[in-house]
Amino acid sequence: MKYYAVILGVALGSLLIKSIFLCGFSSRHLPGWLMKNLDLIPPTVLAALVAPALVYAKTPSGLEIYLPKILAGAGAFAVALYSRNVLLTILGGMLLLGLFSRLF
Amino acid sequence: MPILQSSPDTPPATPTKRQAFRRGGISVLPILLGVFPFSLVLGFAMKESGLSPLQSASFAASVLAGTAQLATVQLYAAATPGVLIVITALVINLRYAMYGLSMEPLVRHTSIPVRIFYAYIMSDQSYAFTMAEAEEHPGHPHITSFFLGASLVLYVFWQGGIALGYLLGSVIPSWLPLDFTIPLVFLSLLMPHLKDGKRRFAAGAAALGALVMVPLLPLQTGLLAAILTGMGGGILYEFFASRNPRKKETTS
Repeated sequence: MKYYAVILGVALGSLLIKSIFLCGFSSRHLPGWLMKNLDLIPPTVLAALVAPALVYAKTPSGLEIYLPKILAGAGAFAVALYSRNVLLTILGGMLLLGLFSRLF
Repeated sequence: MPILQSSPDTPPATPTKRQAFRRGGISVLPILLGVFPFSLVLGFAMKESGLSPLQSASFAASVLAGTAQLATVQLYAAATPGVLIVITALVINLRYAMYGLSMEPLVRHTSIPVRIFYAYIMSDQSYAFTMAEAEEHPGHPHITSFFLGASLVLYVFWQGGIALGYLLGSVIPSWLPLDFTIPLVFLSLLMPHLKDGKRRFAAGAAALGALVMVPLLPLQTGLLAAILTGMGGGILYEFFASRNPRKKETTS
């Protein structure tokens, strides 16, 4: 029974978090500086998700700087910037990671 | 035809709902390379932590939030107190509040029950693809159909992957770092948003903030702190750029 209580809490809490602003709570209750800068959310979210994943490797003792990922990430950044193509970015990044992880 | 690009140069002038839905569904296909293995891992983790098929299926169906789900399963297997599990999962999911906030202008014409459904099927990936599409085609008439197409394709593969992972066990060879494809896709989706100095500076500040804070702060709170750092950086950038006309950026 404890299990179902836990997943109910996770499910309802997550739905509340995901839907509260999507349902229009925002415009009346949030400060103006935030509403004026909503266009900053996508680039900052994506940059914050991407940067650690292109620098650190997960190890049993935590996150550690991993050079092949940094080099492959830099290459993939160039591919993404010039091609604007999701598939090419994936292929370029994976190939470079394969290459650099054998070299270092 | 550049269907699989995140930014084709020639979109249909006035796409129908159906076309927007299809375009959304097709646009997320490349990221399945990264998402599908993640769902296999989650399904496998559910089995490993001793959850019954019914327990696994009800958890998979009740919420769509990969990282939080994996954390919940691991903590449950480690006999963590229930309250702590729920708090951990919700903290990991706090970023979704930011997603809802920035997507709200796109769904303003829809009813509350529909928006709650959108919230349920929203994922990191469908959010990112939809915002990239909206950035490249301002005033897109059927952006919600695009979102729905993208979300449903991801949803079906996500649930299928959990079921397969539960049934088959660990089938992804460990030497193949497919999880690396997820940041690569996000990197590609980041590009359309880097249109002016304010947003470039904000993204740079968020990236630096994440590099420092994600390893230091617990429970993925580093991620949220980095997002707020980036937004603060962007706001400061605009403040100083407007006070110094010589450095003022022209929005392209």
